Amino acid sequence: MAGLRVPRNAAAPWRHLDFSLIAATVALASLGIVMIYSATNHKLEQSGIDPYFYVKKQATWIALGAVLMAVVATIDYRRLREFAPVLYGGAVLVLAAVISPVGSNAKGAQAWFQLGPFKFEPSEWAKVVLILCVASYGASHRGELSGRQVLGVLVLAAVPMALIELQPDLGTNLVFMAILMAVLLVAGARPRHIATLTVLGIVGSVAVLQLGVLKQYQVDRLTAFLHPTGDVRGSTYNLHQSVNAIAAGSLTGKGLFKGTQTNLGFVPEQHTDFIFTVVGEELGFAGAITLLALFAIVVWRTWRTAGLARDLFGTLLCVGVLAMFVFQVFENVGMTMGIMPITGIPLPFMSYGGSATIACFVGVGLVLNVHMRRFA
Amino acid sequence: MSRSTVPDPRRRLVALLVVMGLAFAAVLARLTVVQGTASSGYAALGQSQRERKIVLPARRGSILDRNGVELAMTVQQKTVWANPRLVRDPAGEAAALAPVLNVDVNDLRDRLSGNGAFAYLARKVTDDVAAKVAALNLPGVAFIDEPKRFDPAGPLGLSLLGAVGLDNQGLSGLELQYEKQLVGRPGALVVERDPHGTEIASGIRQERPSAPGDNLMLTIDRSMQYETERALSGEIEAAKAKGGIAIVMDPRTGEVLAMANLVAGVNGQPPQPAPSNLAVTNVYEPGSVNKLITVSAALEEGVIKPDDKLIVPDQMMVANHRFSDHDPHPTGEWSITDIVANSSNIGTIMIGQKLGKDRLDKYLRAYGLGAHSGLGFPGESAGLLLDPKDWSGTSIGTVPIGQGLAVTALQMLEAYNTVANGGTFVPARLVQSVVDASGVRHPISSGPSRRVISTRTAQQMTAMLSEVVRVGTGTSARIDGYTVAGKTGTAKKPVNGSYNNGLYEASFAGFVPAEAPRLSSIVIIDEPGTAIYGGTVAAPVFADVARYGLRRFQIPPPPVALNVAVPPASTDAIKADAGADLPPVTPAPDAPAPATTLPAATPTTKP
Repeated sequence: MAGLRVPRNAAAPWRHLDFSLIAATVALASLGIVMIYSATNHKLEQSGIDPYFYVKKQATWIALGAVLMAVVATIDYRRLREFAPVLYGGAVLVLAAVISPVGSNAKGAQAWFQLGPFKFEPSEWAKVVLILCVASYGASHRGELSGRQVLGVLVLAAVPMALIELQPDLGTNLVFMAILMAVLLVAGARPRHIATLTVLGIVGSVAVLQLGVLKQYQVDRLTAFLHPTGDVRGSTYNLHQSVNAIAAGSLTGKGLFKGTQTNLGFVPEQHTDFIFTVVGEELGFAGAITLLALFAIVVWRTWRTAGLARDLFGTLLCVGVLAMFVFQVFENVGMTMGIMPITGIPLPFMSYGGSATIACFVGVGLVLNVHMRRFA
Repeated sequence: MSRSTVPDPRRRLVALLVVMGLAFAAVLARLTVVQGTASSGYAALGQSQRERKIVLPARRGSILDRNGVELAMTVQQKTVWANPRLVRDPAGEAAALAPVLNVDVNDLRDRLSGNGAFAYLARKVTDDVAAKVAALNLPGVAFIDEPKRFDPAGPLGLSLLGAVGLDNQGLSGLELQYEKQLVGRPGALVVERDPHGTEIASGIRQERPSAPGDNLMLTIDRSMQYETERALSGEIEAAKAKGGIAIVMDPRTGEVLAMANLVAGVNGQPPQPAPSNLAVTNVYEPGSVNKLITVSAALEEGVIKPDDKLIVPDQMMVANHRFSDHDPHPTGEWSITDIVANSSNIGTIMIGQKLGKDRLDKYLRAYGLGAHSGLGFPGESAGLLLDPKDWSGTSIGTVPIGQGLAVTALQMLEAYNTVANGGTFVPARLVQSVVDASGVRHPISSGPSRRVISTRTAQQMTAMLSEVVRVGTGTSARIDGYTVAGKTGTAKKPVNGSYNNGLYEASFAGFVPAEAPRLSSIVIIDEPGTAIYGGTVAAPVFADVARYGLRRFQIPPPPVALNVAVPPASTDAIKADAGADLPPVTPAPDAPAPATTLPAATPTTKP
């Protein structure tokens, strides 16, 4: 039989790999590396550090992410479902640990474990775990969720979200909410429950801003985009620099590695949360559109897989990943241009950061998994 | 298992797609606005925070004399500045710098510990101070070149040239008047900085070089200026005067060859440049020098003729005021020449009364009194002339003899120039041309010339003025081999409305050679402490200055003799050597009246 391909193998998962999704992912990650180099090499060189310092680390994360993506894709997603309770418990424990003295504090947030030279950010991993758990829960109710079941999903999510809020990491919780809403919608929650949740979300946001739950700096930063001409050296500084950099790119950009706002380091957190400003300044409108088109491919392939999935769990997994990507891209790109509040949300595949990058690759692994097993 | 009751996840997926599509559209729309329509505004904002413009001062143009010799020039000098962000030990550096820069140590420490990235420590220091500072090798202390105004000739002509400020802006004098031409166009250095203010090597460094200012070429002759100041200075010291003014001009062209303004030094110091160009900014009562205008006007109007004789007493009443000649003399028959040569107040008033106030006023103004000279010099005065309808009863007594009106030295000299030019007023010129960077000269035009009196009247007047020097009150202005024409003046100086204070302005105005004038000069000695008479104090300075000018400009005695259209002044001495001094009469074509020799007048006193 050796050397012969029999029709029975037509359902073999590896024959149905989604190469478009892989190609778009690789293209995004590669572009991300170039942009990180552009954003960091001058500053590193001035400090006498290897200008490829961040690039090398990010490349390592990407390689690690690719390996994990392959691993995640290899294990049948229906078997992964069995790990959901364990992963959920593990995630809650780790999130609890990170706000204990074991975790590390940086820039006012207790969000990392410092493992030697590496930082491990559990909230990024928790996003993937949450997707797995709510998809699993939602899928067990055959496409129709009662009010109680919706409440069950919310309670399930509330524990890790509460822990994350203690770090505090508002951005990641917003991603959680986006995932929840999308999964609940597709899992069959009733329209009035969706509507109620949306209204509650809006009321809750206003209440949070008004009732002093957040610290003033958080409120200032979140609302800065509503009054962009405010305190340009304070709360709107970041927004100003960000929009200036993108605007400087105009139609065709200043050229790769030639962005002056970028090279002079005017945009804070540029290689992480504000990586889009490098694209905007150096590659211009053309480059930004290309980047958004690559994301559109990822989104489209993920959405398509959600529709093609063999079962509701597969569909909901893809919807969760989809919501994670779409919300992060929209929020991240939106905040750099002043149409969304500034929160610490990385741009998938592009922003520098180990946990976030790997979590995104794992997400793609889940989608690949569902896609290639749509016939099996 | 009824599929219809279970919501179709596919329809929900479409709903999700719509929501995502809207989000994508919002991002796209915003991107189009930021990078498309509003891009330039944001980009300019980014540029403005990124770039710092450093002004490179332009090299100020030089001020040159008529031969291109520099009177004021600009040299680059070091300015010491500090970047306080790089200074680690402000107190230590201040202590090290204070003795070298000669600046207060606390002041320095404050500047070295300031917030900015730039602080001046000392501007435009000498080269050896800069070298000492450089040798200290202090972190954060650096140098820039700044242009400094430098007068190679020292204080020469300083009140004329004026002063410049620390930023090389003209503050007074010609430096102020021609600021626009001299200042040049400053250049710019555009430096890109990071948010910490550090200059970025990779940032664009645009440099627009500064364009140096144009040079100014004056009509002044540096040597003439020097000699004039030297002579004036000597007289101020000798006469124990408060100060003095001297102008030397070429009457034919109106060019000012020298303009000296000095005030006595304090505590035995030599005289210093006056704080302003008094020759055009300061007015004084001209006194007898003004008789030129009264007499020439009367001649021109025909109310007197050169050979008229007047019965001149030594005092007379005008309205309720008693006027007198400077020295008593018996009432006698005086020729017009005698009146001028001996500077008789009474004779001149009698002539003024014949002329009348309206005609006198007309000539005063025609000679340029009461109006700006046209030089446009900063702070220039037009002088003070009363309207004839405002004259008091005594005005017809005072104005003809140069009292009750005020003129600048330049105005008075221009009146003498008019006579020297055969009756044509030629406006004064101080700046010949503006010389641009490529060496092209752009002449500065002066106003049009105009006729004030006829050539004949001018010649008659010139002859009378040369009698003043030959035998009259101005003999100290004599120059061997040349005929000098001029008039003395000794005016009481009003202080707080009173003339009875013993203060005088002694002056002499004249020109040489009388036959074909090439040089004219006015010398005013302010408050002489010894002798008070213009003929004693000012006339010798005139002679000194004119003697030098005649050599300097190689002016030979003219071959043609003066057209003597007037009788010589008649004193015993005059009668004795009249024939020797005055060559035979050779009338000029436009002076048909031949010389008429008239009998001698009675001897009079002459101060």
